[in-house]
Parts: sequence; structure tokens; C-alpha cells
Amino acid sequence: MSLIEYHPGKSFMHKLDPRVKIFMMSILTIVIFMVQNFYVIAALFITFLALWNNAKLPAKNLKNYFIFMIGLLGFIILLQTLFYPGSHYILKPLIPNFVPLIGGMGALKWEGFLFGLLLGLRLITLIVLMPLVTMTTPIHLLALGLVRLGMSYKIAFMTTTAINLIPTFESETQVIMDAQKMRGMKDFEEGGILKKMKAYPALVVPLVIGAMRRAQMMGVAMDARAFGAYQTRTYIEDIKMQKKDYLVIILIAIYAVAAVVINYMLQGR
Amino acid sequence: MAEAMIKIENLSYRYPRTKKWVLKDISIEIHKGEFIAIMGENGAGKTTFCQCLNGVIPHSHEGKLKGVVIVDGMVTAETPISKLADSIGMVLEDPETQLFTTIIRNEVAFGPENLNIPIDEIKRRVNWALEVVGLTEYIDEAPTALSGGQKQRLAIAAALAMLPKVLVLDEPTSQLDPIGTREVYNVIREIREKHDITIVMATHKSEEIAEFADKVLVIKDGQVAAFDKPWNIFNDEQLLKDNWIRPPQVSALTNYLNDRGEMLEKFPVLLEDAVTEIMKWYKGERV
Repeated sequence: MSLIEYHPGKSFMHKLDPRVKIFMMSILTIVIFMVQNFYVIAALFITFLALWNNAKLPAKNLKNYFIFMIGLLGFIILLQTLFYPGSHYILKPLIPNFVPLIGGMGALKWEGFLFGLLLGLRLITLIVLMPLVTMTTPIHLLALGLVRLGMSYKIAFMTTTAINLIPTFESETQVIMDAQKMRGMKDFEEGGILKKMKAYPALVVPLVIGAMRRAQMMGVAMDARAFGAYQTRTYIEDIKMQKKDYLVIILIAIYAVAAVVINYMLQGR
Repeated sequence: MAEAMIKIENLSYRYPRTKKWVLKDISIEIHKGEFIAIMGENGAGKTTFCQCLNGVIPHSHEGKLKGVVIVDGMVTAETPISKLADSIGMVLEDPETQLFTTIIRNEVAFGPENLNIPIDEIKRRVNWALEVVGLTEYIDEAPTALSGGQKQRLAIAAALAMLPKVLVLDEPTSQLDPIGTREVYNVIREIREKHDITIVMATHKSEEIAEFADKVLVIKDGQVAAFDKPWNIFNDEQLLKDNWIRPPQVSALTNYLNDRGEMLEKFPVLLEDAVTEIMKWYKGERV
């Protein structure tokens, strides 16, 4: 259910230059955080979903992730509804307002609910945006894109390798959990939240030790293949900006500016 | 005698925060084009020895190194590993951790790319290396799609593409099944027949060593217990026992026959020789 692993295809998103995609991801991330209006974020969200559909990325992965996220979103919305300042009550305060410090506690406020919803939607929108880049770009081209944008190869390689390793760690986590279940550990399945939390060190410790060992071995293997031997290196594949890519950059810029402008116009009302 | 490709003088090594010397005063010479097998029980220092050859020790591990290791004219302690990589290729035990790209073509090209080799030359080398290890048809696939034996062959291809003069393999077949092991040894034989590459391999597989290796280095407690032709090694029952080395099955059979007073004329370590010897003995018996 990874939202990162490269998913081969020949769609519009797949064919874009990695640099354009990196540009798109950074600009739109900023836009998502700038925009305050519910409708504008919803519009962004729907645009990204349309691109997902166009790139034929597996919707199943997204669905699984959303199910996983629902708990978190509910929690965010609940917290905001409880603590966000506001005067439109869904539920009157349990403690009257005149009590010092804790006065007004326990009220559910409409403004908070909306704000929580907005935060949640932002998060979801971000989660849909990221894979549009990572799932449509082979990892080495993503690294090459970063290098061409001026990042040093070492850092670009580290970044992309980290992304690349996430699925590995997901499966490793599963292996450790299965191994523990096979030896009678039931806390992950049956226990309450407290029990689950207590069970986590047993999972995290072997995972981290494994990761460190793996990192060391990888370092040795990379050294043996002359990683970083010279300042420059050859790339067997090259990326070239096409006319289309420049056009898309302009379109993204217009889209971003439009989103921000419309947002302020709607806010102003 | 051929020139020395690897020269080791009084090599001793101790890991950081330990008192025990893992390698003790090893001095050997390995000549160009030789295939050296390193044997010894677990913990004898085989991996440490391999890591000394390619500079991982002392560059990536602290600890105390005494003596000199010279590979292809370079003193390993004074040359960065990545520069040593020009002359010495390495294949590790775990097929997983040494592969880090998503497409096999890029995996093989990774080393030459780092060495600033021109694109056309890299492409030639990638095709060549994949052909040597028999993975040409998978060039556009992901390394994760391969079996263990295939992954290890890919790791060999990735090392070969850098055109090393020395190839060090640290128990490359210990995690493989018999078929995977055969695959790897066939590739090594192929390399040996067609290319003048010096090979150093730590391994436990006696049959394969008897068949392929020029010399066997037996390490015991960090010291050289023996450095000789496979035949001499496998003929030395006490040496094998001391180092927990399993003799090739045909040698074990011969020893068994000898113990029962049925002497064979010559001591075989290869299956073919064993068949010849046993046939002779069998016929002699009948006449």
C-alpha cells in the first residue's frame, strides 16, 4: 500500500521532466499552506485526484491510506472543535465562561470544526500531491532532476535512496511483527491503546538496529562501487526540458497564483 | 612467476574496543590471474581479511591495523576506498544490501558512472557484464524481481562493469540454494576463462573450490594455517579437522575406503578423478 514506489506508465505526469514535477510539488505545497478557503483547497484536492486518475495510479493504495488516516483526521477535528476560539456554539460550554483559566472548556465550536476540517483537508491534499511525483518518476531520474537543479549528487542520492527504502522498511516491519506474533505476541492485535504503545519498543528496536546494520553494509557496497570518487560523474540517462515542460511550468505558476488570488478574494468577502 | 597483484606483509588487525587481534601477522602474495579461496571456520577472520583487501579496513572501520596491504601497486591504508574501487571489485554476502537502484541497467552502470566513464563505454560494459552473468534479458527489470542467485550474479556484473583487476567475493553463496550456488560458480568460471581477473573468494563450498581454485588459504584464529593447492589442502585430514572444513565428498569417500584398508592409488578431490581412481580400484579388485 505504499504511496511512494514507482508505478510505471506513459501518462502526462509520467512524461513530464522530473524538474517540472519537483517544481510543481514545491510550489503547490506552499500554496496548500497559504490557502485558507475551504473551496479553494477542495478545488486543489480534486485537481490532484484527476491527475491521479489520469496517471492511472492505483486508487487502492490511496483508499487504504485514507482509511488509515481517518482516525487522525477525526482527532484533529475534535481537538480544533474543542479548543479553537469561536462564539458559534454547537454545544454550550460545560464550564461557564466567567470561571478563570478553565472557563469555556468543553464547548464544541462551529469555527473550530470548520478549521479542523480545513486542516484535515490540507493534510489529505498534501498526501495526494506527493505520490503524483514519487509514483510517476523513477527514483534515479528524480535524483538526476535534483542534481540538475543544483543539488550535489551525494545529497540527491541520499534523499532518493531514503525514499526508496521506505517500502523496504514497511516490509521489514511486517516481518518483525509477524515473527513476534508467531511467538505469541498478541498486543498488536488485541490489546488496547496502552498495550499497543507498550508493544512498540519491541518492534522499533529491532527495526532500528536492522536499519543501522543495513546502512553500514550499504555504505561499504557503495564505496566499493566508487561512490563519490570524483567531483563529477557520468549519467547514462539524460533529461531534457521539452517545449511542453516549459508550458507546464507556466501553467502551474498561473494555477498557483490563481488559487492564492481567488483565496484572498473569497476571504475578503 | 607472474607479478604479485596483492601483496600482504605482516598484516594484523584488531577491531575497536576489543583486545583480541582478529588477524595476526599474515604475509602472503597473490599473483595476477589466480583464484584464491579463503576457508576457515566461522569467526576465523575471513570477512575481516576480505575487508582489508578492498580498503574497507581501515577506512570504514576504526581499530588498529598493522602491516601493509598493497593491491595493484596501491597501499590500501593510504588510498581512499572509492579510488581503490578502480582496481578492486567486491561482492558481499547479502545480495540485498549491495543493490540500491530500481532498474538493473542502472545498477550495473552505477560504478562506471561514478568513475566518470563516457556514456557509450558504460553502455558497452553494461551489456557485456550482463551477458557474462547471463542476465541480459532482465536489463529493464527491477533488481527486486530477481531470485537470490540472480541477485548475486547481478552484484558480480555490477562489480565487473568497473573492469576491476581483482574481484573479492565474501561468501557470495552462503545465502543461496545449490542451484544459485552453481549459477554463481559458473559465472566465476566464465570470467576466469575469458578474462584475466584475479579472484579472492571466502567460501565454505569444498567441491567448488576443489574444482575451481588455484590455491586455498586456510585461516585459523586470524593466522595462516595453510596456503597451498586445493589437492594438498584436502589431502591433509588433520588440517581439515582442525578448521572444521568439510572435505569434498569424493575425498571423504576415499578417506573412508583408505581407513578400511582399500587403498586408492591417488587421492582424488575432483569427481572425475575419483571416478577414474575408483574404476581402477574396482577393476583391479575383480581381476
